Amino acid sequence: MTGPASLPVATPAQTGGWLLAQLRSRRLELAITLAAGLIAATASVVPVTALGRLVDLVRNGARPAALYPIAIVVVTAALIGGVASGATTALVSRLGERILATLREETVGIALRLPATVLDRAGRGDLLSRVGADVAAIGTAAAEVLPTVISAVLLAALSVTAMFGLDWRLGLAGLAAMPLYLAALRWYLPRSAPIYARERAAIGARSQLLMESLQGVRTVHAYRIEDRHLTAIDGASARARDLSIGVFTLFTRFVGRINRAELVGLATILVAGFWFVRAGWVTVGETAAAAVLFHRLFNPIGMILFTFDEIQEAGAGLARLVGVGTLPVAPAGTIKLDKADLALDHVCFAYDERVPVLRDINLRVAPGERVALVGSTGAGKTTVASIAAGILRPQSGTAYAGGVPVGELAPGVIAVISQETHVFAGPLVEDVRLARPWAADEEVRAALATVGALRWAAALPDGLHTLIGEGGYPLTAAQGQQLALARLVLLDPAVAILDEATAEAGSAGARALEESALAATRGRTTLLVAHRLTQAATADRIVVLEHGVVLEEGTHEELAANRGRYAELWEAWQSRS
Amino acid sequence: MSVLWRAVTRNRWRLLAGCVLIGLHQACEATVPILIGETVDLAVSTGSLLRLVTWVGLLGLLFLLLTTAYRNGARQLMRALADESHALRLEVAAKVLDPRAEARTGDVLTISTTDADHASYLIDYVPRIFGALMATAVSAVGLCVISVPLGLVVLIGTPVVLVALQRAAPLITRRVAVRQEVAGRASSLATDLVTGLRPLRGIGAQEAADARYHEVSRESLRATLLAARTQGGFQAASTTVSTLLACGIAILAGWFALTGRISAGELITVIGLAAFLGEPFGTLAAAPSWIATARASADRIAEVLRAWPGTEEAADPPVLPTDGECLGVVVETDPSALLQLYDDGSPDVLVAPHHPELFSGTIRENIILTEISGQNGLDGVLSASAAEDVVAAHPDGLDHAIAERGSALSGGQRQRLALARALLARPRLLVLHDPTTAVDAVTEHAIARGIRDLRHRPGSQLGTLIVTTSPALLAVTDRVVVMRDGEVVATGTHASLAAADPGYRATVLR
Repeated sequence: MTGPASLPVATPAQTGGWLLAQLRSRRLELAITLAAGLIAATASVVPVTALGRLVDLVRNGARPAALYPIAIVVVTAALIGGVASGATTALVSRLGERILATLREETVGIALRLPATVLDRAGRGDLLSRVGADVAAIGTAAAEVLPTVISAVLLAALSVTAMFGLDWRLGLAGLAAMPLYLAALRWYLPRSAPIYARERAAIGARSQLLMESLQGVRTVHAYRIEDRHLTAIDGASARARDLSIGVFTLFTRFVGRINRAELVGLATILVAGFWFVRAGWVTVGETAAAAVLFHRLFNPIGMILFTFDEIQEAGAGLARLVGVGTLPVAPAGTIKLDKADLALDHVCFAYDERVPVLRDINLRVAPGERVALVGSTGAGKTTVASIAAGILRPQSGTAYAGGVPVGELAPGVIAVISQETHVFAGPLVEDVRLARPWAADEEVRAALATVGALRWAAALPDGLHTLIGEGGYPLTAAQGQQLALARLVLLDPAVAILDEATAEAGSAGARALEESALAATRGRTTLLVAHRLTQAATADRIVVLEHGVVLEEGTHEELAANRGRYAELWEAWQSRS
Repeated sequence: MSVLWRAVTRNRWRLLAGCVLIGLHQACEATVPILIGETVDLAVSTGSLLRLVTWVGLLGLLFLLLTTAYRNGARQLMRALADESHALRLEVAAKVLDPRAEARTGDVLTISTTDADHASYLIDYVPRIFGALMATAVSAVGLCVISVPLGLVVLIGTPVVLVALQRAAPLITRRVAVRQEVAGRASSLATDLVTGLRPLRGIGAQEAADARYHEVSRESLRATLLAARTQGGFQAASTTVSTLLACGIAILAGWFALTGRISAGELITVIGLAAFLGEPFGTLAAAPSWIATARASADRIAEVLRAWPGTEEAADPPVLPTDGECLGVVVETDPSALLQLYDDGSPDVLVAPHHPELFSGTIRENIILTEISGQNGLDGVLSASAAEDVVAAHPDGLDHAIAERGSALSGGQRQRLALARALLARPRLLVLHDPTTAVDAVTEHAIARGIRDLRHRPGSQLGTLIVTTSPALLAVTDRVVVMRDGEVVATGTHASLAAADPGYRATVLR
């Protein structure tokens, strides 16, 4: 199975710029958060230097009463530090989660407005793994990792400051290990970053495979190819797993380099302290305090490193989310129409440059007229419908509604119902209300009644508030399509396009659905793609399309009387043997 | 057996090795402040170069042991962790793909990714907790050697404070569970909306859908912030008491030093150990919330793995085609219950789903689903299902890559590919359900003849059952059975029924 082209990933510069802009717009929150972090770090450093003084007092044979001021300082710092540390955790995660919430809402918002063609090419699994796994990875980072890292960074900065405060020469000794830390990072980051990127991509592919298998689960079962799909998922998951193990092996080598830096730093402070004490520059207590301060940094620095993969993962996830934001979203039109005609003017279209699908199509549906589009399968009927709806853009020619190019119309002016039904998870009434969120219950009931769905809907366990869709009460395909028609009625669009909206029900349910469709489009400018010619025959006018060209046009009676393509189709439809 | 317990048992050797090595690593970490104290006390304060070299050399050896233990232990654990999350993912996938499981999509993605990861993090948490205990024990022993009361403060104080802190554990668990639950709901909604994107956009409901997601996302944010506040409060409490405990030890040691009960050098070691103790203490204090997260995820996985719908005893199908027969079945109502009766799980029977579901891949890969079929008869099958022009419409032909779920193809094209797929599988009994609803009348006739020619040549043993009310298809059957409320009400040929039965005429009349 070949993987689809992926959605874009933001460059580090784009991601950084985005993050900076977010932080800038939350300056006050950021300042308060950092202040809390600084207080926590200071409160954590002060006791160590105070205890270093205690060592010198002991060595100088001070009286026990000398302990009191130090004890007071230490205990006060502990109390302030504890509260400040808790506050830092809460504030950092609050800041991070708020930014994340904005980001995920933006991402979903853009996804909902992406050209359908872009999304189909990239695959929904990729997008779903972005709004799912990536959001989760960043969420964990914001809630658990970020507070630790920020506290650790602040503590490291203040510890070094404190070492300089003890004696500038000790401070320099404390910095001696810095180049080794940096070298370790410079060794690790360029090696791990591409593996992390590949790991994220592998996870995206894994999600894509799983989603596809679930959406095609009936076929998977019917052909008993569960094993084949599981093997594919297994392969994708194993690839992701091997990448994560590979990058971790690299990480452990990185930790080895960090340990080396720690040893060098600690040894430098001890050896330097040894000579400084000999020279009389520093006291033994100050050396001890410097060594303890440095040693206490092992854990915070380790924490930064230990969570580095999570930070990088979150960074990669962030780049993928910000990447969705870089996708061009066609600006939605704003023009609204009440009643309009629909016209296709010299429209040509090809999916790829080589195979033309439509050639110079001219078509007009008068206001309130119902026109049926018929023709052999593959003639280009759905393409015509998609262009009329503004989903596809023709290579040349234009589609108009009420004289306005369809691309400039506000969403919902032209409504499309295709045979791809989806019952949205939640209460039934909310499913219908998607068409008009502020519609009253009565309006929803009226829409359901129009399409003949009110009776069965009211008879559901919880009536119109029954949970339907994923994990809810199961509906038949025909019922799902009736809901789609009810949404159309509630929306009350200027133009309706029904693309085989009744085909899915199977022949038994089709007639009932045709009644619903007829009721839903009565008096409405309607373009109807139909295979069932009985449905086409109810239309005001019929357009016959073959091989991307309009072949015939007229009423059912006119066309049936001709000895043309429609008559041929009608005869085949009518025939009993 | 619980998911977490199984994670432990099936990775027990790697986990054991990891615990031992991480324990050793943490013991080494706890020894570092002792060595610092000894170096300052015995080398720095005395000015003996020989002792300096000796102690710094010992420090180097300690680090060698420390880093080796970590590297090997962590690799073992990572492998176990990666294996476990992979295994959990596959179990979830196998479960939801199982024919007996009820169909679900939305939360499965979250469960198989995030929850599988979170549950397997347990393999990381267990050695971390063990290591923290080791570090605490080594520190306590170190303190005892210097002064028994100091060691006792750690040995008694640590468990008391930790137990006290754990009183907050249920609250944190609850808040974290709510956070994860609401986050899962937001993720499910995003999945649902993106899955239904076409119908959604068909009615211009992007804004409404956006608003809906926004609402759930804000709810998720509120739950997250509540959990963060709880965790912040918990951290404030745990940091305060652990720092107070460490400071208490240091101040007590200072008192002992000032009153001459321990030396200045020993005081340095105590200060180092006290400062170090915050680490294992922090780990032990945070451990319950880690475990809670892992457990919440494990519970969601267990729910998927456990759920079996009630197995209804399968009734026999009411009517079967004889060998070589093409049988038409006319049902007025929803035939899905009837169709299920035929799907007995045997490889000889194929109940082709009415809804044509395509997968990413080429046209060829989509048609050849089962091993047995292969290339043989591909042309004949494409011709019988009138799918030749679907293939011909693309320059790459059979190797044309289908975009996700075939959404670039028309309904009729998808339906004909699905039919080709079913015919190619050549099952002994093929059950088709309205296989031509999305094709035009002329093509429908061609397909009807194609099915007949392909499967029912003279001498053929293959049986075909077509559930339909399409006269074009019924006309090519050998026999037609009319069913109402699960009972056979009429049998005959299409021609005889059409001639004699006005009810039948009304049903199959367009």
